[in-house]
Amino acid sequence: MFNLIRNEQMKLFLQKSTWIMLIALVLLAFFGVFLTRPDGDEAKYTDANWRATLEKENKKIQKEIKDIDSKANDQYIQYMMQNYEVNDYYLKNDIKPLNYGAWQYVLDGKDFLSFLSLLTIIVAAGIVANEYRWGSIKLLLIRPITRTKILLSKYISVLLFALIGLVLFMIVAWIAGAIFAGVDGLNPKVAVYSNGKVVYDSIIATVFEDYGFKLVNLVMMATFAFAISTLFRNSALAIGISIFLMMAGSTIIAFLMDKSWAKYILFANTDLTQYTTGVPIFKGTTLGFSVTVLLVYYVIFTVVSWISFTKRDVAGS
Amino acid sequence: MTENAMELVDVRKSIGSKQIIKGLTFSIKKGEVFGFIGPNGAGKTTTIRMMVGLMKLTGGEIRIGGKSIVSEYKEAAREIGAIVENPELYPFMTGWQNLVHFARMNKDVTKARIKEVVELVGLEKAVNEKVGKYSLGMRQRIGIAQALLHKPSVLILDEPTNGLDPTGIREMRQHIRKLAEEDNVAVIISSHLLSEIELMCDRVGMIQNGKMIALQSVRETEKPDKPALQDVILEAQPIDKARSLLYAHSKVEARVDGDLLRFQCEKEKIPELIAHLVGEDIAIYQVGAGKATLEEKFFDLIGENTIV
Repeated sequence: MFNLIRNEQMKLFLQKSTWIMLIALVLLAFFGVFLTRPDGDEAKYTDANWRATLEKENKKIQKEIKDIDSKANDQYIQYMMQNYEVNDYYLKNDIKPLNYGAWQYVLDGKDFLSFLSLLTIIVAAGIVANEYRWGSIKLLLIRPITRTKILLSKYISVLLFALIGLVLFMIVAWIAGAIFAGVDGLNPKVAVYSNGKVVYDSIIATVFEDYGFKLVNLVMMATFAFAISTLFRNSALAIGISIFLMMAGSTIIAFLMDKSWAKYILFANTDLTQYTTGVPIFKGTTLGFSVTVLLVYYVIFTVVSWISFTKRDVAGS
Repeated sequence: MTENAMELVDVRKSIGSKQIIKGLTFSIKKGEVFGFIGPNGAGKTTTIRMMVGLMKLTGGEIRIGGKSIVSEYKEAAREIGAIVENPELYPFMTGWQNLVHFARMNKDVTKARIKEVVELVGLEKAVNEKVGKYSLGMRQRIGIAQALLHKPSVLILDEPTNGLDPTGIREMRQHIRKLAEEDNVAVIISSHLLSEIELMCDRVGMIQNGKMIALQSVRETEKPDKPALQDVILEAQPIDKARSLLYAHSKVEARVDGDLLRFQCEKEKIPELIAHLVGEDIAIYQVGAGKATLEEKFFDLIGENTIV
């Protein structure tokens, strides 16, 4: 098994396209947060002025919320409200907030992780279909190794690629943060909004929690692309469908909102942060419900790819 | 231990309601080079795909070294080295990386063995180039190399001389004969180059519409119970006169084939016939004797108008 995974990694990393994807990821990790961060928006908190700065920020937030009437901006209002409460927490507990630094940079970088999902989808969609396209499937499947093992080694390789991308992304983002914003201690604590209240926690724990939630979506979409690619033996089709669904997922949910079965749609359940920091998309769903739905989808995807890979003839060219 | 390297017992394959292979039964001995021929669509490739486990059998059994490809896949697959249709390796990897890749999929294939195989197929110079840049002939060689890595007891080659130049074809022929004779490997070759098959193989199986229509030894010795008739080719001028003379002299019916006359007669009679023709002022340019070629047998069996 180890040798099979080594083979898959060798094939993956000897293709130019893999390196182009990783370079794009590194560039995004380096400049992404820097370019999208509102310029000079976050104040420098000094010992002398941090209370005044926080109060000023909160006044601004209150004014902004008052100006927005539209209900369509629910999400934004909620985001602002959370910021308000976090600021309030610092004031009430008399804690000087952390200045923007390398770890916050990494934390904000989580919004760019959907790009890593996209890359993982591309890899997952190609890893089986390409063997058919190259014709090498005929040399791969005549070895004294069961097809199940070959498929499993490919799936593990996809997850390994995502893991490598993730580690690379975090390291580069941290370095970029250190360069652009400076280092604020090795494991600083911050106040964050979690499970309906503000908690004061280590920022590294927060980073891993937030990234972990993002990975749920990544793994589900990669597994979906992998299944489509083994079923149709066509990587373009698998990439197309998966990326379309990933992009359109929330739109589809909004569209089918009033249907009773809509809560069983995959995309209604991939964002588990709806149960920690946000509001559940559907009333009455719980974390347990979403995890169960995700597991069912996961089993369907893996069984589909396993059956189509192990039971079907390799015919034609 | 059985003497057969590979056995097929009533192998059947249907796709949908269509029967592609209708009960093939034959075996290949160790050290034998077996030619597998037939028109396009006869079921050659399907049979080969079933032999290597790429397609499942609808019925029957294939055993390699006594191990069933159906129920003992891993043990059976260990004995097989194959190229199915074109040797399609990974174009973005070098020849060496490709071989390392496939070596890892078998137990006990060492670096030294990879080197040995590279030398065997004569790819020392090109082994560090990307396979995508290889010529068809080089690809054929690297294909053979990956098939030989784990020292299989059955080697299955689909069109092995495709894309090779004449020197390459000769080398390939020598490789294959050497493998069969020295290492006792059973080699199964499918090809449409009938003359090639004739030169390389010990035995030929001819398949049409999913059935074996002929199974015969290429180096067949004349059957003693028949009068030894020999095929004779004669280039003579004027050709029509020569033809009627042959008939008048000993009731030999000759067929005109371009500038040549073809007929059959006993070997002892040939000098007499020639002397007779010369005596009648016929100019003789060449005389040849031989057996019917595989190609002639092939067309005899499947009919002239079939696309090969």
